[in-house]
Amino acid sequence: MSGEIALVSTFASEEGCARGIEELHEARVHDFKAFMPFPAEHVLEASQHARGQGRSRVRLAVLIGGFTGFFTAIIMTVGTSLEWGINVGGRPIASIPAYIVIMFELMILFGGVSGVITFFILSGLPAFDPETGYRSRFGVDKFGLVVRCGEAEAEKLESILVGAGAEAVEREAVVVEHGAAHH
Amino acid sequence: MSTNQPQSLGAAAARSFKAPVELNWQRLNLIGAGLAAIGILGFVVALGLGQESRVWQAYLVSFLFFLGIAQGGVLLSCGIYLVHGRWAKNAVHMRVAEAGWPYLAVATVLFWGIFLGRDHLYPWIAQPLPKKAAWLNVPFLFGRDFVALVVMAALSAIFVRVSRGREAIKWVSEPDTIEMPPQGIRRLAPVIAILYIYLYSMLAWDLIMSIVPRWHSTLFGWWWFEMCFWSAICASAFVAANFHTLLGEDSAFSGERILHDFGKLVFGFSIFWMYLSFAQYLVIWYGDLPTETFFLVVRFWHQPWQFISFLSPILNWVVPFFVLLGVRPKKTPAILRTVTLLGMIGVWITNYVMVVPSLSPDVLPLGWVELTIAAGFLGLFLLCVTPGLRLAARQATHGAGGIE
Amino acid sequence: MAAAIETRIEPDLVDIDRHVQQTLAPGGLKYWLWVLFCAFWTAVGGAFWTNQIYNSFEPTGYGQPTMWAVYITDFVFWVGIAHSGTLISAVLFLFRVRWRTAIFRLAETMTVFAVATAGLFPLVHLGRVWFFYWLVPYPNERYLQPDFRSALDWDLFAISTYLTTSVMFLFVGLIPDIANAREKAVGFRRTLYSILSFGWRGSDRQWRNFSMVYLLLAGFATPLVLSVHSVVSWDFATTQLPGWHSTIFAPYFVAGAIFSGCALVLTLAIPMRRMLKMESLITIWHLDNLSKMVLLTSVVMTYSYATESFMVWYAQDPIELATFHERYFGPQAYLFWMMIFCNCVAPLPLFLPRVRTNTIWLFIISIFVNIGMWLERFVIFVGSLSTNADPSQWKFYTPHLVEVAMTIASFGWFLMNFSLFAKFLPIVSMTELKEGIGYLKQAVRGVYPYRKAA
Repeated sequence: MSGEIALVSTFASEEGCARGIEELHEARVHDFKAFMPFPAEHVLEASQHARGQGRSRVRLAVLIGGFTGFFTAIIMTVGTSLEWGINVGGRPIASIPAYIVIMFELMILFGGVSGVITFFILSGLPAFDPETGYRSRFGVDKFGLVVRCGEAEAEKLESILVGAGAEAVEREAVVVEHGAAHH
Repeated sequence: MSTNQPQSLGAAAARSFKAPVELNWQRLNLIGAGLAAIGILGFVVALGLGQESRVWQAYLVSFLFFLGIAQGGVLLSCGIYLVHGRWAKNAVHMRVAEAGWPYLAVATVLFWGIFLGRDHLYPWIAQPLPKKAAWLNVPFLFGRDFVALVVMAALSAIFVRVSRGREAIKWVSEPDTIEMPPQGIRRLAPVIAILYIYLYSMLAWDLIMSIVPRWHSTLFGWWWFEMCFWSAICASAFVAANFHTLLGEDSAFSGERILHDFGKLVFGFSIFWMYLSFAQYLVIWYGDLPTETFFLVVRFWHQPWQFISFLSPILNWVVPFFVLLGVRPKKTPAILRTVTLLGMIGVWITNYVMVVPSLSPDVLPLGWVELTIAAGFLGLFLLCVTPGLRLAARQATHGAGGIE
Repeated sequence: MAAAIETRIEPDLVDIDRHVQQTLAPGGLKYWLWVLFCAFWTAVGGAFWTNQIYNSFEPTGYGQPTMWAVYITDFVFWVGIAHSGTLISAVLFLFRVRWRTAIFRLAETMTVFAVATAGLFPLVHLGRVWFFYWLVPYPNERYLQPDFRSALDWDLFAISTYLTTSVMFLFVGLIPDIANAREKAVGFRRTLYSILSFGWRGSDRQWRNFSMVYLLLAGFATPLVLSVHSVVSWDFATTQLPGWHSTIFAPYFVAGAIFSGCALVLTLAIPMRRMLKMESLITIWHLDNLSKMVLLTSVVMTYSYATESFMVWYAQDPIELATFHERYFGPQAYLFWMMIFCNCVAPLPLFLPRVRTNTIWLFIISIFVNIGMWLERFVIFVGSLSTNADPSQWKFYTPHLVEVAMTIASFGWFLMNFSLFAKFLPIVSMTELKEGIGYLKQAVRGVYPYRKAA
């Protein structure tokens, strides 16, 4: 998406920011990013709705990781017991009640690690490059809505943002970011 | 959930005159009475036909099952207060949970049926164990268990009265404060909870574990009272799912949130039950001490009990876990209804598997005797629970003004 | 003693931010002296351990039949403490409990360092430490595998899973806060925070994925709380030793773990909020609710002791009766009765709101609980070993200097790590406090939420 300038708007509340996203959505502008100091439900819902997104795919990664862990544990424990074949205390060679513990733990381990790795990837972290429109205050108490647009639409979008309740709207030149599109 | 915004003022006006759904409570009462009659008939006929062992075993199993649901429900209400669970409007989740409380008074009377059938249930009566006789003797055992039931029934009745009172309802309707519940609840709920864990463990040891006086498991009481608690959660969720469908859109049971929350409780405590069951199983399996393993062997590795014993964890854990794992199934009333119904059947079966195999290791008595007596208990339970459910439905549709 | 309810001006988002960031100011002389003091004890422990590796267990009190003694007690003690950190941060998150916000970061930090401390003890009590890796399934030319049936091997999987998950949970949760701290930091701290926050900006895409992974990690950490300490309890319950072979061990130990951990959170939070001037972030309301968890688990512990005692009598097994008779009336019985006092009696005043809202009482009771829970492990583990099934083997154990030093050193090591963390990384979660600011404002307003009967 081409966009030479970024409009950095500051909102004092999550409702305002959510309203801003909705109005942008109605104006069919989707090249935006919202910054928040905490995961504000209203803003996240509005953003998800505007982008047409479902639930985060971290969930799927965790599910796959969990299954992988579970089956790895089965193969490891039962496989090695059958191979070595020692009768320990009269228990069956493949002593499933005892192995359940390990199956459970490995399921959690693999699931958790997969989830975290997927989280980093999907969030674009680590992201040490400078980010257009980010301000420190968006981590403290303000909500930010950064819209990328061309020079032509800037005025109209500014008025939309102010109408939605933005405290201030600044303009900034876009910094070219490495990597894939930021959606 | 559909939006409640009417399209126009006219529609809004017409909407506001729609009368809240009224359910046919008479029918439930009739069903209850009918089942109770079947139960009494079956009881008398079976005794007449000389099937005393089966009768008293079935009696004990059904007694324990419904006692668990009733008392577990009151405990659920206590628990919701103690954790400030104000997630349903008009406190309907408390109403539904508490609905079984009148059965507790009835249970103190039904308990004497166990006394009448004691010779067919407890081997230590005919052959007393000298070393355990101080604990396992008829007057002391039946006396203390009766006192326990009376105390719990009385405290539960007082608690339900406070919980239905104006202050409690007001507290529940302010979910975003950090206020504590009213003083009556603050005092009673912990007392009921603490007495529950001790007295219901004692009931488990006395009424179930002593059937096999040479076997013991330190976790048995905890496991049993947790299962009772879970059966009450299943019953409450079952009722909530039904009310969701029957009471329509304007009730406190509509919307997904209440089903989701109940579904999560069913899911979570089912896992906890499985954990407690596994904890016992693993220790007994691992230690391999003959004094402990025989109990499990008769049930899980011995015909004719194997199938029905495995059915217990399947209905109590496997089904709720895999079906309710996702978010959507928890919010679907039909699924929640089915899973909780199966769960309650599972708890009955678990009680059955705990009681009967020790008394009848080679024969699986499951027929008209057990089913009619279970139906009888169900009928009595329905009669007891109908007033409470009626109140819940009314408060769900009319608001909490209708305080009793 | 009057409750110290301070009325402060209601905080807003900027206040929370400022307040927490000010705790990250470089520490003064007192702080570094304290860290040095802890480091000293850590070094003492290191010295003793080195000596033990070189000279074997001779200077310790270990010997048949008590081949497990203080070190395993320390191990279970520290693992137990770790669990309630995860409970407060993960389980209470899932239940949407409001009061968790100010203390969960502290609790999680406690978890991570407690597991790190606990993980050292299986190594310490291995005579030949260099063979510890035999527990791990690795390909080797002898085609050997560890015995996966052994509860000790389950420990390896459980504890390493728990450590990994707790560290991930802590650090993922920290990312937004560290990013916030990065903005105002200078010099070395800024570099540190920039790296640890991975360049987090708090965009909606990032928060969306963050919320999901946090929820899922919390969902995973919850069964870990139950399973890991159950696995630790099964180290003992899967044996046939009288006093150890008991089905109640799993949930009983888990309850005990939560009990000791919540108490340690109180022990840490009360001085820390005073020293770092955080009384209006970690309010009396938070401490009140935490102490209710302590009370609840104390009730469960009392139930477990009562059940075990009753069942020993009920079972009428002569060997078990003998072991427990020694436990209650034998030469080391004073430890048992001290434990009963600390765990069952001392927390009883917590039934009174007056006590729960008084920081001095809470601190004292939490110390009692910590002592009591350490004693509990000692009494169960060492007691049952000393008086096992064969009376000809009976021999009572007394800790020697080495074990005492190692125990104190473990506290030094833990406190050193914890204190370093508290000064360099935000020990209170700005993000979650801001999310729950409505409740914080109510808590801080100073009107204590106990209504008398209307």
